[in-house]
Amino acid sequence: MSGDDLNPAAVARPVEDAQGDDRWMSQHTRFVQECKDAEPDQFEVRQDLFSPLHALNFGIAGDTTCNVLWRLQNGELENICPKVVVLWVGTNNYEHTAEQVAGGILAIAQLLTSRLPKAKIVVLGLLPRGERPNPLREKNTVVNGYLRSWLPRLGRAQLLDVSGDFVHSDGAISLQDMFDFLHLTATGYRTMAKPLSDLLLQILEETHVPGI
Amino acid sequence: MSAEDPNPAATPTPCEDIQGDGRWMSLHNRFVSDSKDKEPDVLFVGDSLVQLMHQFGIWRQLFSPLHALNFGVGGDKTQHVLWRLSNGELDNISPKVVVLWVGTNNHGETAEQICGGIMAIVQVIKNKLPHSRTLVLGILPRGKSPNPLRERNAKVNMLVQEAVSSLPHASFLNVDPGFVHVNGSISHQDMYDYLHLTPQGYQAVCEPLHAHLKSMLDKPAEN
Repeated sequence: MSGDDLNPAAVARPVEDAQGDDRWMSQHTRFVQECKDAEPDQFEVRQDLFSPLHALNFGIAGDTTCNVLWRLQNGELENICPKVVVLWVGTNNYEHTAEQVAGGILAIAQLLTSRLPKAKIVVLGLLPRGERPNPLREKNTVVNGYLRSWLPRLGRAQLLDVSGDFVHSDGAISLQDMFDFLHLTATGYRTMAKPLSDLLLQILEETHVPGI
Repeated sequence: MSAEDPNPAATPTPCEDIQGDGRWMSLHNRFVSDSKDKEPDVLFVGDSLVQLMHQFGIWRQLFSPLHALNFGVGGDKTQHVLWRLSNGELDNISPKVVVLWVGTNNHGETAEQICGGIMAIVQVIKNKLPHSRTLVLGILPRGKSPNPLRERNAKVNMLVQEAVSSLPHASFLNVDPGFVHVNGSISHQDMYDYLHLTPQGYQAVCEPLHAHLKSMLDKPAEN
């Protein structure tokens, strides 16, 4: 594993307001407030697939590992005590190598395990992208490979790789699964949500074992 | 139009494949091939606000029954839409109405330039589809609090509404139901990232849009 201070993907960075309406910071500020408003052991119920699990969603489109790292270091982990954190980031790290991206994801997982002593970390593997085989697919596969071997060494973290379901035998990704060959449709989300929700339920049941 | 510097917003420009997976061109090629197979009565063209409409139940509920096709691409500026429509996406179809919703991503360009880009698209549609009418939608306010992009977008809308008023084949529709509250803020219940619409946000925009489209489709075309 590369030293974090040499890995640009593991350097915390906010997104600069290049467009002029400060939307990234507005979203981060809202997430920090959601943490403050949350009961430490209970969460806002959201109207989505995961609402019975009492989930909060701190996703921001376009974020790199650097941006997620910055947000988590700047308030988005305050006052909450989740049993599980689901981490999904890395596909937007265009400037970084696969090894650097994996290092950035690992740095986030390390931060989460150190700040949230009760939490199990589920890292979702990066999905393939683009209509046909291309260098970004290869890169994302390599990132997943690094994560598969590095994450278990953290103790409370694991990789869940759902990427196999999306590439057809001819190498193509379908618009039915990713409406722009990157972002998931409702159908695409249903495909990856099933193994994820099964795993989450399993983890949550484990932490409810009586006497422990 | 004039002998000044060319307007980048009105210069057909394909999107460069910076990321490396060719997705923009893949989508364009898919739309060109849809044009060959399909016979839409309504064609939606624009950026992510158009593209994402297709992903919500509202599309099937309101626009599929009108035989609508969706050629939205996230991130597109006017010059990208202009290029796409000039390079095959309008061939082989004859929709009654083209709904155009674009301009919010034209960062670094002035309201006048963005209006010029939108009007260039209106012209291309007229050239390729002489029997279609174009409905230009006003671009929405954005950002949680007042900011220069809201002013820019409002000015674009004013300029476009003015420019389109003299054209028999085009019209303008303001689809902002009042997203900006009295205190100047936009709610994340309407725009989850203060730009893109939630299902609730789409409902508020699309219901009046749908009603307006139906009245256009029910009227016989002028000219």
